[in-house]
Amino acid sequence: MAANTGESYWDIVRRQFRKNKLAVLSLRILYFIIFVGVFADFIANEKPIVCKLNGNTYFPVLRQYIVDAGLGGWPKDLQNADWLNLKYEFAIHPPIPYSPTTVDLTNGDYASPGGEQDVASWRWRHQLGTDQIGRDVLAGLVHGTRIAMLVGVVSMAIATVIGILLGAISGYFGDSRMQVSRIRLLANILFVFFGWFYAFHVRSYAMEQALAEGFGTFTLQFLFSLGIFLLIMTIPNLLIAPLRQIPVLGAKVTIPVDIIISRIIEIIISIPTLLLILSITAIVKKPSIMLIMVIIGLTGWTGIAKYIRAELLRVRSLEYIEAAQALGFSEWRIILKHAIPNALTPVLIAIAFGVAGAILTESSLSFLGIGVQSEVITWGKLLSSARESSEAWWLAVFPGFAIFITVTIFNLIGEGLTDAMDPRLKQ
Amino acid sequence: MISLLTFVLSQMAPGDPVELKLKGGLGGSSGQSSEKIAGEQAYIDLNKKLGRDLPAFYFAVTSKAFPDTLYKVYKKEERETLTRLIEQYGNWNEISTYYHAAKALEFSLFDRAIDTIDNSTFERSRNIREACNDLYRTSDNGDVKQHLKRINDAVNQSVQVVQADSTTMAYNSLADVVPFATAVNSAYASVTAKASSSAKYIPSFHWYGTGNQYHRWLFGDAPWFGASTDPTKTSKGFFRGDFGYSYLDGRPVVSILGDALKWTLLLNLIAFILIYGISIPMGVSLAVRKDTTYDKLTTTINFILYSLPSFWIATLLITFFTSDYYGDWMDIFPTHGVGKTGEEYSFLEQVTDRAYHFVLPIFCMLYGSFAYISRQMRGGMLSVLRQDFIRTAFAKGLEPNTVYWKHAFRNSLIPIITMFASFLPAMISGAVIIEYIFTIPGMGRVSYESVVARNFPVLFTILMFSAILTMLGNLLSDVLYALVDPRISFTKKQ
Repeated sequence: MAANTGESYWDIVRRQFRKNKLAVLSLRILYFIIFVGVFADFIANEKPIVCKLNGNTYFPVLRQYIVDAGLGGWPKDLQNADWLNLKYEFAIHPPIPYSPTTVDLTNGDYASPGGEQDVASWRWRHQLGTDQIGRDVLAGLVHGTRIAMLVGVVSMAIATVIGILLGAISGYFGDSRMQVSRIRLLANILFVFFGWFYAFHVRSYAMEQALAEGFGTFTLQFLFSLGIFLLIMTIPNLLIAPLRQIPVLGAKVTIPVDIIISRIIEIIISIPTLLLILSITAIVKKPSIMLIMVIIGLTGWTGIAKYIRAELLRVRSLEYIEAAQALGFSEWRIILKHAIPNALTPVLIAIAFGVAGAILTESSLSFLGIGVQSEVITWGKLLSSARESSEAWWLAVFPGFAIFITVTIFNLIGEGLTDAMDPRLKQ
Repeated sequence: MISLLTFVLSQMAPGDPVELKLKGGLGGSSGQSSEKIAGEQAYIDLNKKLGRDLPAFYFAVTSKAFPDTLYKVYKKEERETLTRLIEQYGNWNEISTYYHAAKALEFSLFDRAIDTIDNSTFERSRNIREACNDLYRTSDNGDVKQHLKRINDAVNQSVQVVQADSTTMAYNSLADVVPFATAVNSAYASVTAKASSSAKYIPSFHWYGTGNQYHRWLFGDAPWFGASTDPTKTSKGFFRGDFGYSYLDGRPVVSILGDALKWTLLLNLIAFILIYGISIPMGVSLAVRKDTTYDKLTTTINFILYSLPSFWIATLLITFFTSDYYGDWMDIFPTHGVGKTGEEYSFLEQVTDRAYHFVLPIFCMLYGSFAYISRQMRGGMLSVLRQDFIRTAFAKGLEPNTVYWKHAFRNSLIPIITMFASFLPAMISGAVIIEYIFTIPGMGRVSYESVVARNFPVLFTILMFSAILTMLGNLLSDVLYALVDPRISFTKKQ
């Protein structure tokens, strides 16, 4: 009966997904993890949330955001404040009153979670112990959540864009449907060269300078170059309109896009990601976590592309696509507005597994101590500090457990989605 | 394609391998030209041996501002500085004059006799030479100006000398150097003054032919047959098994990787046999007993095992089972290494000690793939068991075991074979963390170490190899597909 009430495919998937208890539970845990990641500063911070100092009321955690954004500064007496030892008239501290980088020297040298700690009250205990120089493990875990989520989101965002675009082209056009006139093909190949030359070669000096300055400046410069490139690429496509009328130049050539993209996917799969990232971090002078996210994204789109390709192979022969073609819509409009939206659901599976993979790759890298700056605390880094002392079992158990839980819930969600989308269950 | 990618990466690698190998032992600090020339000669020779005196690729696409002979400036550092200068100012003629003027200035300062009047001559000439060397390394306008100022200060120092007619006169022991220094200054001034960016916007194309680094790296420059007659052309190239030399100790990459491969192969073979030997029968038995408690329990455990990061388990095992901190009985296993090696131990001793050391690493390598493969096997088997021919087989009254192993098993192997393709390369890269944690000197550890030490010949050879192994794995699994299922054929249908 449900099928007759105009229930969309997405509704069916959702209903099937809800039946899977484990997947729903994973989704709830995921919401919790996202919450922890977003509000990490309010959960574990040496700065109080609200405090009254010398008659003034401050909101130091919020204030930090303003300072970081460059919109304001600290009052003079708070500039290099030792937040934990200020004489507050009144203060509300976050649940974990330590930042991941707070060094508590009195409780250094691996204070155990259950053991004796030199703290004022239960409120100030290091609930999950400390590491060698007295940094709170729980605070590290909370802030590591943010990094892990960021890795998953950024790398999969890059991967999704590339994967959907290439997969859609490959699936929709196949080997025989992409036909362009000879002149358009020639002009585009020629102008790719010019575009590369003027956008990247000529500007290589500016870009290298920017790379030395930092990732943000480089991104700006890169986007600027990309803009030039796209601008140059519009020239041939405008120019050829009159030339296309000449029969020899206007003759259609078929481009086997499916074969080309499938080969590219094979090549990318044949490079072991971990080794590739290792090689690239060895080349870059200042590897950062951003760079690692970008590389994971640039190599991780193949799964998504495969899903989209398979879906579009199915979708492109459906009647509504034919109708759209008959109405004379452009191919790009059909792909973007009609075909892709109907093929997006299975991509969620690939994204779910992809996030799990990305988090695992990043934590293995930071475990190896590669590509993460020293001031950033990640789960992998916390776990690797357990290697320095076999007595500090809490350093081995908790960070690893956080990685395990996160990877598992993403796998379970992916699994649940796969089951929910299995067409055999739809009847 | 992958060779290209690897090559691009190796070209982008920072640091000058020649410099690294000579350990900075370039002469010239004592002010003797013979030493300087010997140092430069050593650099040129090594550069030639590593094949870095050649243009990088078959062709180069640059702008008109770049000369096509830039690769002949043999020092990587200087070449990079010149490139930066061209990118900034775009006038190669002026830049080249400036570069040669600086070189001339540096060489004019060698082999000076000790000047008895001006004792600081030696000190001053060394300062100028150092400033020249700094000039080769910087393209930043402010830095260049500062180094030029250092040169000028040092060149123009003079002492007051009392002459025979008791008048004093300024005496500069480096007076003969002044024109050289002036030349450098004016050359740099004209570089900045005559900056022309127009040439930068005209593309140009140079063809270098097969005498390039990429060609040499892949195919070598030694003759394919017979002994090499030219002692400078000895590289055999990647495809003939010549992978170059390690930057660190000058050992051939082949021998480093050979040693490492031994351990990796040993570990992986044991793990491989255990994984497939247990998980395939297990997957089948799970499929047969579908939906029993045994099936549900094992499937859940398998799923958890599959999600457990191996480096976590490894860290846990090391923390709890390799020290006596948690009680004496917990100190079961050795922390790391591969145990006793060498002639002084008997074969049996070596084998037992090896086994003792391998228990933990193999366990860590094992459980993830074990869980994954038995899951896949269960899935493959289940989809076969649903089919009609199995029902027919049962209806004929065949023994269940015959049906499972003779009829269903072979058909359910396809997903397992697909994973075969990834087994070979995973052998190298998959073990990076496990070998790092347990300090086993295998391929994974070698690749980790070469990243940390930026030992590119080793790293890139490993990268190339794992890509080649993937292709081999794909080929292998294609062959196996055809073996398992005769319906699959790779000849084109007529």
